[in-house]
Amino acid sequence: MTKYLARRLLGAIPLVIGIATIVFFAVNLAPGDPTLRFLAPGMNQEVIEQMRANFGLDQPMHIRYVKWLGAMLTGDFGYSFSHSRPVLAVLRDFVPNTLVLSAVALVVAFVLGVLLGTIQAVRQYSKVDSGLSVVLLFFYSMPSFWLALMLILTLSLFARNVWELPIWFPASGMVSTDYEFLSFGAQLRDRFMHLVLPTLSLALVLTAGIARYMRGSMLEVIRQDYIRTAHAKGLSERVVVFKHALRNALIPIITLVGLYIPVLFSGTVFIEYVFAWPGMGRTIYEAILTRDYPLVMAGSFFFAAMVVVANLIADVLYAIVDPRIRYE
Amino acid sequence: MSSDVGSLVVEHHQGTSRGGRLLSAILPGLPQLLAGRWGVGSAALLTWVGLLWIVVARPSRVASALGGAWDEQLAVGTLVVGLSTAWLWSWRDVAAAHEVKRVGVSVWELAVRAFSKNRTAVAGLLVIVGLYVIALLTPLVAPYDPAFQGDLLRERYVSASAAHPLGTDQFARDVLSRLLYGARISLLIGFVAVSISVTIGTLLGAIAGFLGGIVDGVIMRFVDMVISFPRLVLLITIIALFEPSIFLITAVLGLTLWPGTARIVRGEVLSLREREFVQAATALGFSKTRIILRHLIPNALGPVIVAATLGIGNTIVLEAGLSFLGLGVQPPTPSWGTMVADGRNVLLNAWWLSTFPGLAIVFTVLSFNLVGDGLRDALDPRLRS
Amino acid sequence: MRKVLILGVASLTAGCGGEGGQRTASNDPFCQAVLPAVEAFMAESRARNPTPDDPRYGGTLVIGSIGELADGMNAAISTDYSTTQHQQFVNLMTLIDYDPEGNARPYLAESWDVAPDGTEITFHLRRDVFWHDGEQTDAYDVAFTYETVTDPLTAYPNAAFWDNYVKGPNGVAVVDDFTVVIRLEPHAEFLDPFRSAAILPEHLLGDVPRDQLRVHPYGTQCPVGNGPFVFAEHRPQDRWLFEANPAFPDALGGRPFVDRYVYRIIPEQTTLLTELLTENIDVYISPGPDQAQTIIDNPNLELRSYPFRNYILVGWNSRRPQLADARVRRAITMGTNRAEIVEAILRGYGTVAHTGVPAFHFAHSPEALPRLRYDPERARALLDEAGWRDRDGDGVRESADGTRLSFSIKYNTGNQQRQDIAEIMQSQLAAIGVEAQPQVVEWATLLQQINTPELRDFDGVIIGWVAEFKVDDTDLFHSERIDQPYAWSGTQNPEIDRLLDAISITVDRSEATNLWLEYQRVLIEEQPYTYFYFPDRLDGVNRRVVDVVMDARGEWVNIKDWYLDPSSR
Repeated sequence: MTKYLARRLLGAIPLVIGIATIVFFAVNLAPGDPTLRFLAPGMNQEVIEQMRANFGLDQPMHIRYVKWLGAMLTGDFGYSFSHSRPVLAVLRDFVPNTLVLSAVALVVAFVLGVLLGTIQAVRQYSKVDSGLSVVLLFFYSMPSFWLALMLILTLSLFARNVWELPIWFPASGMVSTDYEFLSFGAQLRDRFMHLVLPTLSLALVLTAGIARYMRGSMLEVIRQDYIRTAHAKGLSERVVVFKHALRNALIPIITLVGLYIPVLFSGTVFIEYVFAWPGMGRTIYEAILTRDYPLVMAGSFFFAAMVVVANLIADVLYAIVDPRIRYE
Repeated sequence: MSSDVGSLVVEHHQGTSRGGRLLSAILPGLPQLLAGRWGVGSAALLTWVGLLWIVVARPSRVASALGGAWDEQLAVGTLVVGLSTAWLWSWRDVAAAHEVKRVGVSVWELAVRAFSKNRTAVAGLLVIVGLYVIALLTPLVAPYDPAFQGDLLRERYVSASAAHPLGTDQFARDVLSRLLYGARISLLIGFVAVSISVTIGTLLGAIAGFLGGIVDGVIMRFVDMVISFPRLVLLITIIALFEPSIFLITAVLGLTLWPGTARIVRGEVLSLREREFVQAATALGFSKTRIILRHLIPNALGPVIVAATLGIGNTIVLEAGLSFLGLGVQPPTPSWGTMVADGRNVLLNAWWLSTFPGLAIVFTVLSFNLVGDGLRDALDPRLRS
Repeated sequence: MRKVLILGVASLTAGCGGEGGQRTASNDPFCQAVLPAVEAFMAESRARNPTPDDPRYGGTLVIGSIGELADGMNAAISTDYSTTQHQQFVNLMTLIDYDPEGNARPYLAESWDVAPDGTEITFHLRRDVFWHDGEQTDAYDVAFTYETVTDPLTAYPNAAFWDNYVKGPNGVAVVDDFTVVIRLEPHAEFLDPFRSAAILPEHLLGDVPRDQLRVHPYGTQCPVGNGPFVFAEHRPQDRWLFEANPAFPDALGGRPFVDRYVYRIIPEQTTLLTELLTENIDVYISPGPDQAQTIIDNPNLELRSYPFRNYILVGWNSRRPQLADARVRRAITMGTNRAEIVEAILRGYGTVAHTGVPAFHFAHSPEALPRLRYDPERARALLDEAGWRDRDGDGVRESADGTRLSFSIKYNTGNQQRQDIAEIMQSQLAAIGVEAQPQVVEWATLLQQINTPELRDFDGVIIGWVAEFKVDDTDLFHSERIDQPYAWSGTQNPEIDRLLDAISITVDRSEATNLWLEYQRVLIEEQPYTYFYFPDRLDGVNRRVVDVVMDARGEWVNIKDWYLDPSSR
């Protein structure tokens, strides 16, 4: 297993460097110049040149590329133009927030997807089955920013001001402004309340796909002989499905984790923007617009690395869950 | 209808078919409806009545469109083809009603049969066909020019009325007309982008799967690279590079979608490669190009069609997302995405601005997804009950 | 299984909570050295100056806005409007500030003398202002700040401020600990830079190489100011937290009323409006005119609207043959119904602009100017006269040599108002036979296209300026600056050159007023821009915040005097 892991990790290195290279040239070939953001009346050309030199932009692109790649391999991602700080420090601020959001959304999506997919499979071709798939596809078909805005309007604004419900959710941020003064229990609740809307917006979009796969996988398992045997033994439907079938039907679902991570990260760009969540998706989008080259490149690098790791985890999980697979 | 049905039944059929033909000549689809075939019957009837309504209600528009711009001529063409198809189909259907139909046995016919049993999928298909027909007919149906601005002081943000069934926007433009013209843009982007991606993905996937070795390695590593990267980040990086135009957006959407297709096709080809008919073709000394194009690709097409259907829906959603970030189709060209994105700031006082295009996106994409799901079920024998 | 999942979620969220507090400050050596001193001085000051027994003291004030305070409190490198406001009124201090009428009044400087020949200003500083780490603010800080911002190595973004000052060490002299002299050439509005540029701490930044200031942690991680609010925390893209400064001079009002002030960054406007309506934030900075009515309709909220300093314009590239003739440019302006656009797009929150002289300026008197009003007939006649006629019947005019009167109007992505202007202009200009094509360009690219002297890749561009109190068009229209970034229009008009030169050195305001009027008349004739409008500044404010003053000086001008209705806390 260790050997296999090492080989997979080594194999991932060219992949990640390849992505970083594509992004480096895409970003650097783009028209626009990071110093222009700082222009103001009366600034003369020398000042701008000075600024370009401060940013290291006065050198030709291939030299910058070699320097950047070399530095990156030693863990130095350079300085972010727009944050005026080392890129690594910027990543340290934003990456954990994105990981929290994505991880919770992933868990919610999988729990919902597995549950609903199982129900659909057990009740194949019933009204519940087709009804659920239409409802899930409905959310899947929504632009996620639109779903997010609708959730804000309904579960935050209308819930509080129009319907005057006892529970409504804050529309933005990670914690309340009086967070520091809350008791530990209240802090947990506060964090939870702030997570609900962004997590739902991210997760509901993924649920349809997971439920679909789960339904298919479950249908196959249900037809296996050992399930028929279990039925024949007179076990109740619930026991058969949840004790015997579910575990085996889950195995192929695990591979979906790797597949959905990039989708999830794409989603964070919108969700973090709408919910003012200080995370990587929003940061990389703003970095692209301000031509913060080092940050864009490091952010892409991070995304690519996360996907590689997620795929690896999925494979390892697969091996653990499915005893038929052995990695040498 | 099997052949051992008694003569009485045949006679009965001839009886209806005489009256049926007359009925069909006036209102195509009605005989089928009366015979209890709701789906096809209502489709034919709706097409006939709807298209005829355009001719009756907007004769001058139709007449002037005959010599108008290419999209207007296309609309008239659609009108004519639609009318004649509905009429001829119903006529022949009624005429052929007593003939015994051949029982199909090919994989495709089985799939069609399985698909047509799936009601939601069929409904989705009808919606999509309807959307494309409406998109083609837009110049004849839309009440206003989508770029026409009314009186800025009095007609902005007017809610639904007889003059503007879906209200007006911030420039006093008619939302319904923009929605109709927006359908053309959104559907076109989806269709073209997916065509690009399917073509590239199928070719590269088939080549990789069939040739194997280094070629396979190189192509698939590249595929891995593109797939393992959040597509949206790639899209905004590239689109922010250039001035966003509808061509750039379509091309970039297409060029970033193909790796999924390539993976699917490669998988199919890998299993097909070992099958007898490919082995036979190889033994017969057919060229690789011929084997790929004539034998492998057609047989791997099932999953590709599914992926393409789902891809169109995805692309429409993604275009909306790009618009939200200000990188979508640029004004004054209406696309559903830009309409939703532009209208979101006034959601509280002019909700119709972004709600109707939003619903249009949801229902269109939903239809594509339902059809895609239906196709997948229909083409996958394991899932058939 | 379910149990495990829920636990997993809880530990994830809780784990992140633990490190929230001091994260940004914890790892940088500069910050680690500085922050304990701030803590200590604040504790000491709190003990020395206990909060007065007055119900107005206390509570947390929350302001929400779409943008980050770029570059933070580092006044030597930042340009952003909200950021500058925080430097001037929240965390740092300026030598002088303005009263509501725009007259200079003492702030950090107790008083000042101007030499009779106008070549020296002597500032006498207050002796009761302390940096938040306990050091006294003195003349050396002022001298340091002056040398820093006038040094080209710093790349101070508003370099034009110092055009008529003696730059570098020769321009400033410390007389004693609280007296400092600045040297200059006599010119108009010479006090304005000292209203704008906040003073920085010499004892903390004096050793930093000037070209390294931009990447120094001072600005965004651990600013140490001397203003009414002490920096407490900055979570990038999320929030800034400031606390009341108990050591702020009593003579200037003492500590602010609110205990804590939070600046939250919320990029999406619908979300911001929701947060204001659900009373999660107290102030929404600059909502769109379309959101105004929703705020007015809510009994708990108040909509502030007041004339401001920014204006929107369409800049014409006179290097293009279609736009070279001033008559064509005037016709375009007359063919655009700007009054209607103000009414429609701004919902009346704004006034049509004819030049770039805003309402607060002493020379603002539009009624004395020959304004170009919406008049399609005269616009058509003017175009005919200039030789542009529709010769082939396609609805667009051509010149004698067949050039079509057709051009693009560029604007940046994500700006709804500019997009609206472009689309309305397209539609209205079509009626006078002019073809304008809106074209959106991403912001950084747009700046490069219009600012690069060799490129100037645009016909018309929609853009906005925030005017300083000292209005100066030299960079925009003086022919000597034609190779500089801001000479978008490529204007070469000797009259304009002469008047701009005269204005820049005329100190007397009544004399200057006449020059300004003459200049504006020529400008309207030349019409290098179609000036669009001065939008009113809008702000949504919760009524629980009392004593709020907001005007052309900005939203934060008296934030230290705001208090929260005690019943609301």
